[in-house]
Amino acid sequence: MQSFVFDHIPNNNIAYFALYSPVQNPAELKRRIIEAAKIEGEEGDKERDAVNFAFIDASLITSKLHLETAIYQAILAESQGSLRTKTVHSEILFALNPTNNITEAIRRYGVSDSTKSLLIAHITDKSKSSSAIEEKLNKVVDGTMVSFKELDAITDWDRIKKYYKLEKESKEKGAIQSQRSFIDNVVVSSVAMKTVMQ
Amino acid sequence: MSASQNLIKSSHLVSQGAEAASRLSFPCLQKYQCPKVYKAHLTPDSPPLLLKYRFQKQYRHPSLDVNLTRSRIAGEARALLKCLRSGVNVPGIRMVDATEGVLGIEWIEGQSVRKLLPGESEGDDEGEGEVGEEPTDEEKLDALKEYGVSIDQLMSLIGTEIAKMHLADVIHGDLTTSNMILRRPSSSSIPDIPTQTQLFLIDFGLSYTSSLIEDKAVDLYVLERAFSSTHPDSSLMFTGVLAAYQKKMGEKRWGVVKARLDDVRLRGRKRSMVG
Repeated sequence: MQSFVFDHIPNNNIAYFALYSPVQNPAELKRRIIEAAKIEGEEGDKERDAVNFAFIDASLITSKLHLETAIYQAILAESQGSLRTKTVHSEILFALNPTNNITEAIRRYGVSDSTKSLLIAHITDKSKSSSAIEEKLNKVVDGTMVSFKELDAITDWDRIKKYYKLEKESKEKGAIQSQRSFIDNVVVSSVAMKTVMQ
Repeated sequence: MSASQNLIKSSHLVSQGAEAASRLSFPCLQKYQCPKVYKAHLTPDSPPLLLKYRFQKQYRHPSLDVNLTRSRIAGEARALLKCLRSGVNVPGIRMVDATEGVLGIEWIEGQSVRKLLPGESEGDDEGEGEVGEEPTDEEKLDALKEYGVSIDQLMSLIGTEIAKMHLADVIHGDLTTSNMILRRPSSSSIPDIPTQTQLFLIDFGLSYTSSLIEDKAVDLYVLERAFSSTHPDSSLMFTGVLAAYQKKMGEKRWGVVKARLDDVRLRGRKRSMVG
């Protein structure tokens, strides 16, 4: 499990993240997250705490910088009280999607029945250790935690091109490596400037 | 104290003082609206960022100030993204905090073209504070060699990049040799591919979108004037810029821009207000 530490943010400044591939129980996971939102009372709080993570479809993430940028914009929004979704974790999914439609963001970038690899992030403060979070995570996710480097083989560049409407532009870049670095740069920039997009 | 304020505190200022003189300079003609520029890291391991901070102006009503700052940052970010999508070499956007007035962009390791071309007239740096020793023309040429390009090649890089930007209908609004950075060949984002030296356009603070020939011609005219005032004997260099611009734009588009540029040269940047 790795982390981003944003020292200059006053509270909740650590984001732990891990890549799981393959994931065996995406359908169950999705159902559980939806159920957790509906349960009332103490039991509901407990269940919500159990799935208190951002579950991101790893095939739509281009690089570590991409993930970092989305997490940073979400933490920034939380610290300013300007979240546009209900939690900082759903805000990450919202930041990743190029449009302002929250349902679409969660459908595209969240966990779905067919998800094979997940990037899971948890935003917290210094009081929690990574092992405590890892333990909690392993109770919910049935899958193998792999090194972040494996992302290279997971990223679905064609789908990202489609979502960001970059099919024509990236073709002009020639070599596959320069195409990818071009897409990554546009995607990271779009995530970073989402708050001033339109 | 807000997150972005803390970020700025933890970073260091580059647009003022000696550091700036060696790398980046934002010649503050309109000193009162000049944003401060910092180098920062979001996390200790992440790549460096350039923060452009439009601080709050005490002389403006707070709500007007927030609105203006927000729309300027939005404008700059949109122009950058438009350029990025069209393949113009500009720094990528890394973070935006419009409420606090902070725009974080990719840090380009390199040197501004102004510092690489011979003949910078000295009176130009008025008000820029403690500018370090200016390198001599020979030192500048040596520095240019480090980047593996000749002056002619540099001019053609400039012309091509501006043409790419104009083809995307983005008008820079403040083209000068200080607003162009030659990136060190080694500092590419993808290490596996040996990349040639690239020219980056920076500072889109005065940019806007337009498809008018007039705006493109004025953009070129502004650069021509910048060349002749900062680099003496530069008319040949500027011819090189235009030649590359012409090649990238294509004959048809170039024909109209050229005709208009000749008009603009006769009358200056501002359109005649007579009649």
